[in-house]
Amino acid sequence: MKKKIIASLLVGSFALLSASNFSAQADKDRKALQAYFEKKFASEKSAATFFPYSTKEELSKSYKWGIKGDEFRLGSYAFDKIGRAQHDELMDMPPFEDNIDNGKELYEKTPGMKKCFPDPAIAGDYPKFVKGKGVVTLSNAVVACAKANKQKGWKLTKGKTADLEAYFANASKEKGKKVHIVINSKEAAAAYERGKKEYYTQRGYLKLSCATCHVQGAGQRVRNEKLSPLFGHVTHFPVYRLKWQGLGTLERRIKGCNKNQGETPHKPGSTWTKEMLYFMGYMSNGLPVDGPDIRK
Amino acid sequence: MKKILLASVLGLSIASAGLVEDAAKLDVKKVCDVKANGAAKVVAVAEKFNPEAVKLGVEFKRLGITNRKYIKFTKEAIKAKKKVVAIKYKKKKKEKVKKFPLDYAAWRACTFAVRALQEHKEADKTWRLAVPGDGYKF
Repeated sequence: MKKKIIASLLVGSFALLSASNFSAQADKDRKALQAYFEKKFASEKSAATFFPYSTKEELSKSYKWGIKGDEFRLGSYAFDKIGRAQHDELMDMPPFEDNIDNGKELYEKTPGMKKCFPDPAIAGDYPKFVKGKGVVTLSNAVVACAKANKQKGWKLTKGKTADLEAYFANASKEKGKKVHIVINSKEAAAAYERGKKEYYTQRGYLKLSCATCHVQGAGQRVRNEKLSPLFGHVTHFPVYRLKWQGLGTLERRIKGCNKNQGETPHKPGSTWTKEMLYFMGYMSNGLPVDGPDIRK
Repeated sequence: MKKILLASVLGLSIASAGLVEDAAKLDVKKVCDVKANGAAKVVAVAEKFNPEAVKLGVEFKRLGITNRKYIKFTKEAIKAKKKVVAIKYKKKKKEKVKKFPLDYAAWRACTFAVRALQEHKEADKTWRLAVPGDGYKF
């Protein structure tokens, strides 16, 4: 009996060790990213380096400084004082409340949905890497479940999928769940690396990478909006965007970003999009789930 | 059978790498100069390289028009000896038409096709420069 326990403990610890080996590089990346953003938004003094085009008045009036860790779950509203004030007003009567209710109904009444997702508080656990399937995002999993149960009209970007995800995100938030993406194999680590490369690759006729706006450019003002940071990006989805006049998933947002770069956008269900989201998800590991939310 | 399959896969990837390498060597200003080369030759350059950009998922798109459309409608205009290219495309499920001078459309199709592949190659060397904790120092 003792031998069996020792053996299973050994197997368990080897599994843990190898899992941490596969995610070692990703952890290093995530820590460096957090350190970068914490330095960038540390104080007005550090702003001189990171915001060369902003006036002193703008830096002191419209930015909040000293942002750390969990605060980045709010995206740009962590540091954008004006945006945050507008956001808080909108949150007095959140436009996505009906979507959460609809999501709950879909969860309870759609055949097979409860079986696919016994616990609705799973918004922070996706994307996952599944052997033989590759990266599976929450939208992929939801649509696949609906399809397997012969349900029609489920899209990866909006509608019923977004509503159900709003319910999942809300349940996760209420339970105090955090983003918890796992890299536990060589193949998963390779998918993460491909997603990372695509994120930092300059593309389209504008030659913009995602990082141009959301790492190096995060916090800078474009017209009257401040660009949001990669660290904390996935925590608040699905979002109700005023531009969309509705709720949308991460896939929908990525498609829009990709188009804005001046490239024929990759399809929401493509390997490119899934691996990109896997990388983005890992970069927010450990942050509290904070969706659904409102964005302009 | 396996050998044939392997050889064809290898052949395809070499051909693909070949087109990227070929594009990387080009001087876009020279090969896409419509006045010097004529619209037909310039569009032929676009037609050679753009399918590879599509395959690699790096095709350019501007104002709702993919480079495929620029090439297709510019070729049609050349064939019909028209000086204006009318590009039909869809935006939010609605049919739309945009008109461009022939020289401009040919130049755009060519630069978009070549630059997409050049950028794809350049990215192999540059992407790490933007990664905090890697090439990007702060």
